[in-house]
Amino acid sequence: MLRFLVRRTLGAVVILLFISAFTFFLFFAIPHDPALLSCGKNCTPDNLRTIHHNLGLDHPVPVQYYHYMVRIFTGHRFSTGNCPAPCFGYSFANSEPVWPTLMDRLPTTLSLALGAMVVFLLFGLGTGMLAAWKRGTTVDKVFSSASLVLSSMQIYFVGPIVLALLVYNNHILDQPKYVPFTDNPLSWFNGLLIPWCVLSILFTANYTRMSRSTMIEQLQEEHVRTARAKGMSSAYVFFRYAWRGSLIPIVTILGIDLGSLLGGAMITEYTFQLAGLGRLAIDSVTKTDLPMLMGVMLFSAALIVLFNILVDAAYAFIDPRVRLS
Amino acid sequence: MTTMTKPGEFAEDAAPAASDAFLSVRDLYVRFSTEDGIVKAVDGLSFDLERGRTLGIVGESGSGKSVTNLTVLGLHNPATTEVAGEILLDGQELTGASNRTLEKLRGDKVAMIFQDSLTALSPYYTVGRQIAEPYVKHRGVSKREGRERAIEMLEKVGIPQPRMRVDDYPHQFSGGMRQRAMIAMALVCNPDLLIADEPTTALDVTVQAQILDLLKDLQQEFGSAIILITHDLGVVSNVADDLLVMYAGRAVERGSVRELIREPQHPYTWGLLGSMPRLMSDVTEPLTPIPGAPPSLLSPPPGCAFHPRCGFTDLVGGGRCATERPELPDGRGSACHLTGEQKRSVFIETIQPRLG
Amino acid sequence: MRLYVRRTRAALVAVAAGALVLTACSSGGGGGGKTTENKDARAKQSKSAQQLASQITFGDDAASKGPAEPVPGAVSGGTMNVLERDSYTHLDPAQIYVSNEGQLATLIHRGLTTYKLDNKGNYTVVGDLATNSGESSDGGKTWTYHLKDGIKFQDGTPITSKDIRWSVERMFAPFVTNGPAYLQQWLANVTGTDYRKLLPDGPYKGKHLPDTLLATPDAKTVVFHFPKAQSDTPYLFAMPGYTVVDSAKDTQAKYDKAPVASGPYEIKSFDQGKSMTLVKNPNWDPNTDSARHQYVDSFAITFNHQNEDSTKRLMSDSGDNQTSVSFDNTVDTNNTPTVVGTPAIYKRTVAGYQPFVGQIDFNMKKLTDINVRKALALAIPTKSVYQALGASYGAEYAGGFISPALAGYQKADPLGKVANPNGDQVAAKKILTDAGKLNTKITYAYANSTAGQQYSVSIAAALKAAGFDVQRKELPADTYYDLVGKVDNPYDMYAQAWGSDWPSPLTVIPPIFDGRTISDQAPNYSHVNDPHINSEIDRISALTDPKQAQAAWFALNTYIETKVIPAVPTVYYKELQLFGSKIGGAVYNNMSAGIDATKLYLKP
Repeated sequence: MLRFLVRRTLGAVVILLFISAFTFFLFFAIPHDPALLSCGKNCTPDNLRTIHHNLGLDHPVPVQYYHYMVRIFTGHRFSTGNCPAPCFGYSFANSEPVWPTLMDRLPTTLSLALGAMVVFLLFGLGTGMLAAWKRGTTVDKVFSSASLVLSSMQIYFVGPIVLALLVYNNHILDQPKYVPFTDNPLSWFNGLLIPWCVLSILFTANYTRMSRSTMIEQLQEEHVRTARAKGMSSAYVFFRYAWRGSLIPIVTILGIDLGSLLGGAMITEYTFQLAGLGRLAIDSVTKTDLPMLMGVMLFSAALIVLFNILVDAAYAFIDPRVRLS
Repeated sequence: MTTMTKPGEFAEDAAPAASDAFLSVRDLYVRFSTEDGIVKAVDGLSFDLERGRTLGIVGESGSGKSVTNLTVLGLHNPATTEVAGEILLDGQELTGASNRTLEKLRGDKVAMIFQDSLTALSPYYTVGRQIAEPYVKHRGVSKREGRERAIEMLEKVGIPQPRMRVDDYPHQFSGGMRQRAMIAMALVCNPDLLIADEPTTALDVTVQAQILDLLKDLQQEFGSAIILITHDLGVVSNVADDLLVMYAGRAVERGSVRELIREPQHPYTWGLLGSMPRLMSDVTEPLTPIPGAPPSLLSPPPGCAFHPRCGFTDLVGGGRCATERPELPDGRGSACHLTGEQKRSVFIETIQPRLG
Repeated sequence: MRLYVRRTRAALVAVAAGALVLTACSSGGGGGGKTTENKDARAKQSKSAQQLASQITFGDDAASKGPAEPVPGAVSGGTMNVLERDSYTHLDPAQIYVSNEGQLATLIHRGLTTYKLDNKGNYTVVGDLATNSGESSDGGKTWTYHLKDGIKFQDGTPITSKDIRWSVERMFAPFVTNGPAYLQQWLANVTGTDYRKLLPDGPYKGKHLPDTLLATPDAKTVVFHFPKAQSDTPYLFAMPGYTVVDSAKDTQAKYDKAPVASGPYEIKSFDQGKSMTLVKNPNWDPNTDSARHQYVDSFAITFNHQNEDSTKRLMSDSGDNQTSVSFDNTVDTNNTPTVVGTPAIYKRTVAGYQPFVGQIDFNMKKLTDINVRKALALAIPTKSVYQALGASYGAEYAGGFISPALAGYQKADPLGKVANPNGDQVAAKKILTDAGKLNTKITYAYANSTAGQQYSVSIAAALKAAGFDVQRKELPADTYYDLVGKVDNPYDMYAQAWGSDWPSPLTVIPPIFDGRTISDQAPNYSHVNDPHINSEIDRISALTDPKQAQAAWFALNTYIETKVIPAVPTVYYKELQLFGSKIGGAVYNNMSAGIDATKLYLKP
């Protein structure tokens, strides 16, 4: 296990290094000067030079990259403030320190993504397993076709419709907003209910279909038959034996889906005006805000890498054959 | 389990007299509906088994032997399977019994050993847990007692250091050990009936012998009845008391092991014997496989299902083999239109010399 | 000022959807702010247009005396929700230039002067921290301000002339790159950013501006000595960029995050990109302020509300939305018909001018033949721009480069673009034919926004009909201004929009038509460098009589438009804003280019 962790952590570092370099150099490959953002109306070449100097853009790109990477570990004192390690610098656009901003946005995105994950796992796996349990019946057919319809629903399409129906026109649900869980758990829940549901629609449908088919596959496994031959009840066999076997493909897909979940969270944050990492990513791209962009990219990459390590660790937990080999 | 509601449809002969057998199967029909049509997997099968005895069921794959036994336990898919006939276990009717009733029997009174222990044991749970499960369930004991029982059973089936191995996962066991573990699992509740479906097929010869010996020993200890399903006459001949040869969902020959090995009556049994290597035979003597392939159970051949592969239809004549289905008599006998005399003479003159 | 979209910096076209704009303010007298029940937008417009010719007066001591005239029916208390699209990037007065920050500044920062909008809809430049709008002497070169009594920062320390001096001097420091530069340039008597040489480190290394430029003889007196006459000085000090900074608490670059308030509200909390809470500043004395009120207990501002979102929320008028308003968001074009067509919603709107005037520039470096430019100007159908911007609620046909919102506006249409917004392709073709320039190749660059794509098609078609060989060149909206802003750009014509910084053409004509300012990213995108224009700019800038100057600017506008033709005006930008049913005191303020935040109250 230790070796596994060490190996994966090293791999993660390499990936993050690659992503950081890629993002950094790609940013400068685009012919757009981030200094123009702070140049206001008096955008004379002189003023641009001043801003270049203020932002550290007057060095060659590789040197800037080197500074960026070193400062992550050593920290740096900028004119806008002292930036202790891990120092990701200050936003070009609004001089906010990047790391605290990320930490500030993280709870929103995590609440949104993990909450949606709970919703789609609950509903997706629930309906999928029910369909598998009732295979061939009306229930199965209704769930299967419903999942087909739902899987073609896009967030930016469903979001505004849900808002119009449930919030603006009928006032059934609260206007989506983010309230920290620690402030008021009920408001947190109410505020995120619509975003969770909308974000999870696509995923729910996929997980319904997938869990149904893997459960049916698993129910035909010989060891499942053995369990039945031992006199274990149908429910026990279903939930302990077949379900356990379904976990591996489900967890695998879940690991792959994290990227799209973050992407979906981005669109959802935009649709419902939630200030999360996705929103921050979009903003930093449109504002050509390199430090913020780098921060979001690295941070979300790290999240995905971390999640995949967790997924791999989960394999070991689920499947003892992986654990020992 | 679905029971056919129109018994008349299948009633071919008078119901046999109820015997004092522990397991009695009467006129069992099992049909699967598939996309291509109805598969008649078991087609009017009857047999009896007494306590302490071992019945070998022999046949090629697809002959219905496994299906028969899954049906006894009610492990077929009820949505796609029709079952008719009578299965009496210790006087209790199993066809049409509720799932609850069957669940209580499975693993307790009737246990099953499957062919491939690698796939038949769950990779996700420890051997000990899988052995203990039915014991905990049927005996209502605690998990700790279940574990102790599992250790005891592992020891009984000859796993060294059972206390250590009890927490191993199946993939940590060798093939032979896994099969032993499976046997331990089957015997954990001292079943009255043990159904072993090809228990040794996946194992090498020496382990095969050990496992069969183990089964025999355990039978002596527990007094269970055993059904041993195999395609290998050699295996059953060492272990079983009685034999039932199945072809295309029907029993074609029945008798004691001794009778069947010494004087097989059905051309299909002859074929099986001929395709079996013998220790004593000349290595240069080629094995003679049965020509042709097992019939499709979607549309089995009319008359005797074996007739397209049978080399002796001429002796019967009149095309009877292709039109009229031969019946299997009670007790020792075979379902074949050849007369008793013909069977004897053909076996002695042409088959036996080949078997050596 | 260049039309400037905060978020992308690009976006001439985004403005169509009501983008935030780089503005201190604009305008003159548009009394159209008052909500009317009038369902006909054209009627609403023409009414305001009639009022526009009014002058903006420079207020005396009496006009500058607090408290402000009460808003009829106003009551105190409550929390008002404010739905904003963009978060505030800068809070340091010296860095404030864009419109949303300007709006915020009216609540938290005070300068020497400010605009007072009275209940009749008249605008006056009044003394804010100062006792009046400014006393000039020495032919308009010297401007003296006396500070009021009782003016304090949020912590209770009095605001003195030292703070005013400090606020001016720090604008020379290199970290201040975003705010206006007029004052610095006037003091240093230079153009561009050479003014920094006057005080390279600001006041931070002990150096100060000499008394010959800026004198503070006592704690209550500030005297500016400009090398040249600057008759627009009262306007200048009303810019949010020239409001006051607490010299004792100046943290330089960090001040941008946590400024010290002097206005009726102070910042209680600011979560960048998410929310801001404003609460009453207990040390703001209403008796010192003739323009602002402090009716609402607090403003709960949340960001990231696209125009569509804020419009839908406010249309629904449910729950919290009843007590909601947006300082800067406009009604999005898709919902405009519903908003205008539903009386119950329409009565909850205000409308007015944005400071921008749209024009299509001709690259003088490439299109050297005036006949070609004239033919282009005649042929271009401004109707296509008008419609792409949402027709009468987003735009009004422009006859010149100077907005009707500016003081002393004179209606004129020298090129006939208002009279014939479809363009005269026949006349254009004749000019081309006569000049032997038929089939002149024109590379037409436009931003790839919805509006840009929309109007570029019909413009190109009209030019083709007029005998041009038109090549459309689509540019990314995000970098549009960077690309056309290059002196050696390869395009022949491209749109821009320019907004005034204060309601005088001084902040319009010189920036976009002074040939001596041509450089990369400078707003003279047509690269016109005409000796007569240049000399007129110098002459008019030096005039001390505002009326005389205004007339001269409009005459120069006509000269540029007809004799040089570096560009053709298209439309004046307008906007429609919506608010919740429990919002009282809603008035559109042309000076802050949005709903007047200082007059709002919550209906009980």
